[in-house]
Amino acid sequence: MTQIHNIGTELDWVVLIIYMVAMLLFGTYFAKYNKDTNDFFFGGRRFTWWIIAMSIVATGISSHSFVKYSAMGFKYGFSSSMSYMNDWFFVPFFLFGWLPIIVYSKIRSIPEYFERRFSPSARFFVTILQLMYLIGYVGIGFLTMGKAIMPLMPEHLTVFGFQIHITLMGLIWVTAIVVGSYITFGGQTAVIFTDLVQGAMLLFAGLMVFIVGVAYVGGWHSFWNLLPASWKLPFAGFNSPAEFNSVGTFWEDAIAGSVGFLFMNMGLIMRFMATKNVHEGRKAATVNILFMLPISAIVVGGGGWVAKAISVLNPNLIPKNVNPDSIFVLVSNIITGPGVFGFVIAAIAAALMSTVSTLLNATAAIWVNDVDKPVRVWLKKIKRDDPSDEKRAMMVARVSTAAFTVLGVLAVYAFSSYPTVYQAHAFFHATLTPPLMIAIFFGAFWKKFTPAGLISTVVGGVALMLLGFRFPLELIQPIAHGTPYDPIHPFTYMAALYNLIVCTGVAVIVTLLQKQLKHIASRIKKIPNHNVIMYSMVVFIVAVFIIDILDIFFKINISPLAGLVTLTIFMTICVALVTTFYVKYDAEAQTTGLTVWSIHKAKEWFKGSKLNEREGENVKVHYKIVDGDEDVINFSQKDMHKMAAEPGDLVYITDTRKWLGGLKSCHSVFGKPHKEDGIVYFRNLHLGKGLFVEGRLLEAEKEM
Amino acid sequence: MPLDFFNVWLPYIYLYVGGGIFFVAGMILIRRTKAIDMRLKRDRFWWKIMLLGFVYYAIIHLILIIAALYW
Repeated sequence: MTQIHNIGTELDWVVLIIYMVAMLLFGTYFAKYNKDTNDFFFGGRRFTWWIIAMSIVATGISSHSFVKYSAMGFKYGFSSSMSYMNDWFFVPFFLFGWLPIIVYSKIRSIPEYFERRFSPSARFFVTILQLMYLIGYVGIGFLTMGKAIMPLMPEHLTVFGFQIHITLMGLIWVTAIVVGSYITFGGQTAVIFTDLVQGAMLLFAGLMVFIVGVAYVGGWHSFWNLLPASWKLPFAGFNSPAEFNSVGTFWEDAIAGSVGFLFMNMGLIMRFMATKNVHEGRKAATVNILFMLPISAIVVGGGGWVAKAISVLNPNLIPKNVNPDSIFVLVSNIITGPGVFGFVIAAIAAALMSTVSTLLNATAAIWVNDVDKPVRVWLKKIKRDDPSDEKRAMMVARVSTAAFTVLGVLAVYAFSSYPTVYQAHAFFHATLTPPLMIAIFFGAFWKKFTPAGLISTVVGGVALMLLGFRFPLELIQPIAHGTPYDPIHPFTYMAALYNLIVCTGVAVIVTLLQKQLKHIASRIKKIPNHNVIMYSMVVFIVAVFIIDILDIFFKINISPLAGLVTLTIFMTICVALVTTFYVKYDAEAQTTGLTVWSIHKAKEWFKGSKLNEREGENVKVHYKIVDGDEDVINFSQKDMHKMAAEPGDLVYITDTRKWLGGLKSCHSVFGKPHKEDGIVYFRNLHLGKGLFVEGRLLEAEKEM
Repeated sequence: MPLDFFNVWLPYIYLYVGGGIFFVAGMILIRRTKAIDMRLKRDRFWWKIMLLGFVYYAIIHLILIIAALYW
């Protein structure tokens, strides 16, 4: 494949650099809204649905989308949009299951949920998987960014007489430094607001490329007729070719990818947690999936579709063996003029900043909450219930953001062997999503799911997945729906189905056998040297895992497939037994408020008292400062009656300027009523949290 | 790619039957667990939105297939 260089003009570079610097400054401006880690990670839980829906667009579209969907659009047509229009199936689980659970349980990260639902050891395993997932995603972002900018770069650059050969990895390192520095200082509010601008810019740039491109080939009629019918279908061929087919995309993207994105992507989840309440989160998610994703499908794939039409119209304009990952940049250069092309590339660059910054922010949140704090508790430097040292936590968040930026770049090396970003991303989804997906799904929706089920899935399930990676013909091909075997990257998509089956199988079997496992564990406990038995099992588990890894990654044929499968199944049984033996688990206490079966209880916990679900009206008020430092605000008797509120209920109060999207707002609790209608009594802390402007009208809403 | 049932309609059927199983399971689960409270006007609104969303995407894909084949 040909790598294109030196496209674009100096003006394009000027536009690109100005745009990037402007975004950097815009993001760091919002650092002033970071009063504590709650603001840094969750933006103070204050925003309205539209601001979050728009900021999700930038994260959802992201730079890899432009590159990968245009590549597939160029090769296969409108079916490149498949992944953008298959996310609705899990909406009921998300809107009325996972979203209220994570908001009402007040968790700060997904691994924290697993500790409360299962055990600290479950949190440990999930933290590892979650960090791998996020770092992998950051790596995909960096890889794409490098591939997008590469065509603009010369092959060599001369600096102070030294000739520097420009490589993909070199370019990625430079990009990482820029992105890392911006997110390290900005925080979640910066991410949300830069994403808001970037989302709009991305939609504009992508639609512009598509519309200008259609005009370039002679208008819609000409564009439509240039393309063959098979190329206009919304789905790829059922099971071929190996690199892009419908059935593979269904399992890899509609199932694993959709759940990965909605349920596991901590970056996205933190956005929903930044909405002012669950209802606003639902609106943001729904608008995004119903309206923004179909538009995004055109935005990200349009460049490739136009490129195909151009290649039919004028075969000399686009080289036949062009690297598909360069197609969006190439076609943008063909159809736009100097400066405009720079803007389009700047929009992609900004998209990378959005995606990667969101993920890095999420990764830092996991590090602070799931690694740093538990380790300090374990080292007895702090107690579990100690109030968090905000200054230190912010410092750790910033340092870890920088460290994960570096790890993200290192992850690129794992993906760079794939011919296209699309396939690299598919491999990533198919491999890393299933164990976490099963863990989250069964954890949140199946009350009977136990710590033994979870940890066996994470350890045993992953080991069985590794065997599928090593023996694709024997283990994946029978369920591959006839998709062709590619010896270099075997069953990139259908591996998702295999991985889901083995993880589900382990989770279900171990959970259903819980009674028997408990019985065996209690019998072992009666044996005088039971600890020796347990330690032997742990050694056996580690040994089998190492054997599996050696066999897979170093192709050392330690045992035939049947032997390895048998060993791995025994190892999984041992994991289940060891977990049942050691982990204390109170099924009643650890499921209440943490599964879909007890959402009402979760709401009560969130509020701290019985719910008041009487429907009232919002009221408009001015504020007055009174002495005191308790987190309550007081309304008049009449205003409280209008809101159907009682002292102790939760209240959200915001500046009435809708376009601020809740930036100037805060949550509090209703205090005892006073007699001044149209006035709310604030303490100084509310002024600090809400950044309200004196004299401005405010709107108050009873939450629950 | 031949424009036969296997490549034109089977991907559509597979997506909406396969995906539909997950979707219906989700709808049943949130009703059974009372995570969605049908006594509340707001939740009834969401129930309808979820059903309409499924139909909305199925219709979009159907129109796109017909457009590709016959327009």
